[in-house]
Amino acid sequence: MKIYPYKRLSRPITLRVTSVALKLSDGTRDPLDTSAYSVQEQAVALGVAGHTDWVSATLGVSATLPPGADASDAAWSDLCVLAVLTDGKTNVRTSTVLTRDPEGSRDWSGTLELIRDDHVGRANLSAYAVGTVDGVGGRSITETDRSWVVDTVSDEPVRGLRLDVRKASFTKSSREWLRAYADAPWLVDTTARVPTVYVNTDIDGIVGLLDSNGSGVESKVRDLLVAQMATDVWTAVFHGAIGDLEVEPGGGPVFPADWQGEVLREMLPDVVPGVHVEEALRQVHRRRTGDSGWGELQTRIHYAAVRRAEAAKAVGYMIRSLERTNRESET
Amino acid sequence: MITQPHHVPERLALLSGSAADPFLTEGLLMGEQVHSGIDLAKVVEPLPEDDARWSVEPIRSLVDDVMFAFEKERTGADAWLAPRLHATLRLTRQEAADKRLWNHLALAVAPDYVVWRHFSERTGRVAAERFQGPSDRQCFSRLWWAAEIFRNGLDYGPVEVACGNQDLIHTVLRLGLLDHRPTAQAVVRLLKDGTITTGREVNGLSVAINAAGATLIYDVLAPDEPRDPARLRDWIEEAQTAPPVSRHVLPEGPDEDPVPEDSVAALTDYFTELFETAPVRGRKSED
Repeated sequence: MKIYPYKRLSRPITLRVTSVALKLSDGTRDPLDTSAYSVQEQAVALGVAGHTDWVSATLGVSATLPPGADASDAAWSDLCVLAVLTDGKTNVRTSTVLTRDPEGSRDWSGTLELIRDDHVGRANLSAYAVGTVDGVGGRSITETDRSWVVDTVSDEPVRGLRLDVRKASFTKSSREWLRAYADAPWLVDTTARVPTVYVNTDIDGIVGLLDSNGSGVESKVRDLLVAQMATDVWTAVFHGAIGDLEVEPGGGPVFPADWQGEVLREMLPDVVPGVHVEEALRQVHRRRTGDSGWGELQTRIHYAAVRRAEAAKAVGYMIRSLERTNRESET
Repeated sequence: MITQPHHVPERLALLSGSAADPFLTEGLLMGEQVHSGIDLAKVVEPLPEDDARWSVEPIRSLVDDVMFAFEKERTGADAWLAPRLHATLRLTRQEAADKRLWNHLALAVAPDYVVWRHFSERTGRVAAERFQGPSDRQCFSRLWWAAEIFRNGLDYGPVEVACGNQDLIHTVLRLGLLDHRPTAQAVVRLLKDGTITTGREVNGLSVAINAAGATLIYDVLAPDEPRDPARLRDWIEEAQTAPPVSRHVLPEGPDEDPVPEDSVAALTDYFTELFETAPVRGRKSED
């Protein structure tokens, strides 16, 4: 909870993306339909139209201020509203001033330009209401409490962690480093832009099994295998994210951008229950870099991974399916 | 200290973190033994052949020159190399965010430079993050990003000033506050006019800017202009025919509009005021 030395609005801004258009390299514009963004997920996917040659994207945004922003006795003057796009991976910050819709409305709207060369994966879009308070200009009066995710690659507007799953023959892959792991059925690489699972096609039948959409025991085995892979992935990405933490000059860990941050926000409530995620991150960081406690934490990390992977469900269905098969073979 | 690998590739390539890992040997980190280069060449992912930007020779010769010129004073190498590396290796931010490129540069092209620049007498080794690490730590990407963030349009002058202060590029670069271009230029101006000089002062200032930034939206106090992506694209295209960068005068960056002067001036005044009241470790109070 931040403390502000001046009066603010207690409620957040509601921000919506209302339109998305791509500018292509030949100078034409392609307005994307509503499947490019989701108000529910607060996410935009610029890859939906499948263009490989877009230069920039124009996002139409609309911000609704909470009641009281225009109160005649408000503590601020010079009210203005800003949409801000940031990208932690490319250090880009772009802001645009919104204009009030009809006179007296609580809605402010405008457009924000995103340059493709400036982003690598996911950018965050938020909004601020700014005013002059007690003679100090540029004070934030209120802001969005949850920013939008603008994914420059994805073809589906979802917020959650996305994995890349690739099939490769470990012994013959052009990624020569995979050859050292020829006897592993799958591997997780957390050093890539998004965590990637490599499935080893050298293991006979593994691809057929994973791709199968049949019913019965086979599909339950597949689900169990997927749950096992997912457990490995969640464990690996947690360690990957916690291992690369940046530390502020004061010594506290900084919440990372991109998928590392998403993984931590998702898993920390299970790893250190009952505290705010920021505090949970400090505790985990202290135990990893301090003298003790890291070993004890492993069970919690494993638990968080197993829950995410829905392993109990996969095991449960697998056992029931086996029981049914046994029963049928007995009769 | 090691020399360059026996086999230095002719072209830059991508080296994934997992593929790079086996080459970060104890011998390399202690600066005693370098790989031959042959095995490393097998695990890279190539970049397009027809792009002159991926030619290694211009970068390798820059690195050789900087080691020769700054033999006596290694930290001074940053201010010289950062703008020249940026102007030689013309990248978009999207490309520069790919750690695989920097892994390759450090491990395959110039591991000797990484050791030369970052070997610590105290620990007897180089931190592995200088080869493969976060963008503000890795030997080459930190210089590229410092140049990108502190250049004022085509003018690399502010980069030289910024890179002359190790604390600025070591601790402040990682705080998102410099992503706002007028903020970055205002900080450089304070360094240039001598308002702040020591590392402690830089840290004190950055803490003060950061704290104030929690409630202040600098974009309103000091607006920036949107950038034109075509200017950067043109500059990158010119890499196909550009001569090597001068060793004596600063090169020029992409012909983008400089940060609005009014915004830099407003923030410089504001930061000066902030700094006068900021607690700085070791600074005596006036009485």
